[in-house]
Amino acid sequence: MNKFHIALVVAAIAAAVYVSTLSPAALQTMQAGLLSALSPFLKTGTAVQENIGAVGKRLQTLDELEVENRELQRENRELRAENNLLRDLKQENGRLRMMLDFRERSEFQLVPARIVARDSSTWWNTVRIDRGFEDGVEADQPVLTDSGLVGKTTTVSKNEAIVVLVTDESCRVGARIEGTREQGIVTGFRVQENEAEGLLQMNFLSKNAPIEPGQLVVTAGVVHGSFPPGIPVGKVTEFKRRALDGQAIVEPAVHLAATEDVFVLIEKK
Amino acid sequence: MKTAVDLLVLFVGVFLAYIVQEALPPMHDIYGAHIVLIPMVFCYAAVVLPFPAMLAGAVFTGFVVDVLNAHVVGGRIEIPGGASIVYFVIFGCLANGFQPAMKGGNILPFALMSGLGTSGLLLMQFLLITWNRGGFVWETAAGWRILAPGCMAALVAPLFHLTLSHLDRLIPDGSRKKKAVAR
Repeated sequence: MNKFHIALVVAAIAAAVYVSTLSPAALQTMQAGLLSALSPFLKTGTAVQENIGAVGKRLQTLDELEVENRELQRENRELRAENNLLRDLKQENGRLRMMLDFRERSEFQLVPARIVARDSSTWWNTVRIDRGFEDGVEADQPVLTDSGLVGKTTTVSKNEAIVVLVTDESCRVGARIEGTREQGIVTGFRVQENEAEGLLQMNFLSKNAPIEPGQLVVTAGVVHGSFPPGIPVGKVTEFKRRALDGQAIVEPAVHLAATEDVFVLIEKK
Repeated sequence: MKTAVDLLVLFVGVFLAYIVQEALPPMHDIYGAHIVLIPMVFCYAAVVLPFPAMLAGAVFTGFVVDVLNAHVVGGRIEIPGGASIVYFVIFGCLANGFQPAMKGGNILPFALMSGLGTSGLLLMQFLLITWNRGGFVWETAAGWRILAPGCMAALVAPLFHLTLSHLDRLIPDGSRKKKAVAR
């Protein structure tokens, strides 16, 4: 190595130091830009992967499809009827709240999204959805299904967003156990032996709390948090008493490996 | 001119490798390990390019890897920006030393360095995440997720070399073409 080469290595290290001074937000903006640029190619790759995996699924008979269609139509009629009833109740609730001079609750809007890529990272449990800031999606917004919580958005590009799943250790959810006054923090495990059946851990519970397997865990709705209260997170499968606190092992409410359609919860402004 | 073309090919190759590795599903039988191709692509550049061009490639590859792996939750980044640049600079300096072997037609060092480079990158990411989150957690799955991509990269590397050396003939001043003419 001559002096010129050493000078070049020093310049390269200086470039690394400069990049290390960039804020997380700046790196996220660059990531969003890069993902936007690569998005058409990434979608093609994912489509190929999906088509290969769906070969067996497509071999359903017409009879099976007809039965499924009939069931879905029945379910659709039931949900419409229920929705109409709930709309009336919502209006009535709004009127009563106004009469009592309550502060109006913030309203939410559900943006439907489709998972376009999953398991793309070695160390994080993330998925990519086909909605971005053009659809009103922002960072740190909850993502859910009709069964419960899926995760929250992190990097948002023009037409796509990365969602960190509840099974990831870096996704922390303030939650409570229904039927008790117990509140704790739900996170995933750092490295899961089997991602498809990934469990969650709920820490910082009282060690003498009367927690039984099967109890429902829902979001607590912490002030300035990402998640509104009452979204199902999962069910307690085990409760461990530790030296200082209690830990509940929670089975996620959503089967994350099989989920394809999700909703992003956007607060109406 | 040849070096500039090779460097450009590396830049495009890094993105292509990312697109391909994103399209490939994780290996569920090996604890969900992923196929990681970017370090192998860079390693090839490191064993064929001159030192200054290799460094430019290392900075570019490291920057792209840093940006693509920027996992920000609650305003905190898990793998600090610049870490991959430093890694690729060190890895590139080591791989560049095997250039004479590569010129002599021995691709074994390239295959081995590809495997080591891939596993090394994943190990660095694991250690940085551990440092950030605190508390060292080691599972069998973590070991396999570090080792398996390296083994896969070492196996794919000879095929990659074969493909590229054939494609090299298409470039106007391709080295293989020159050799053929000289012969």
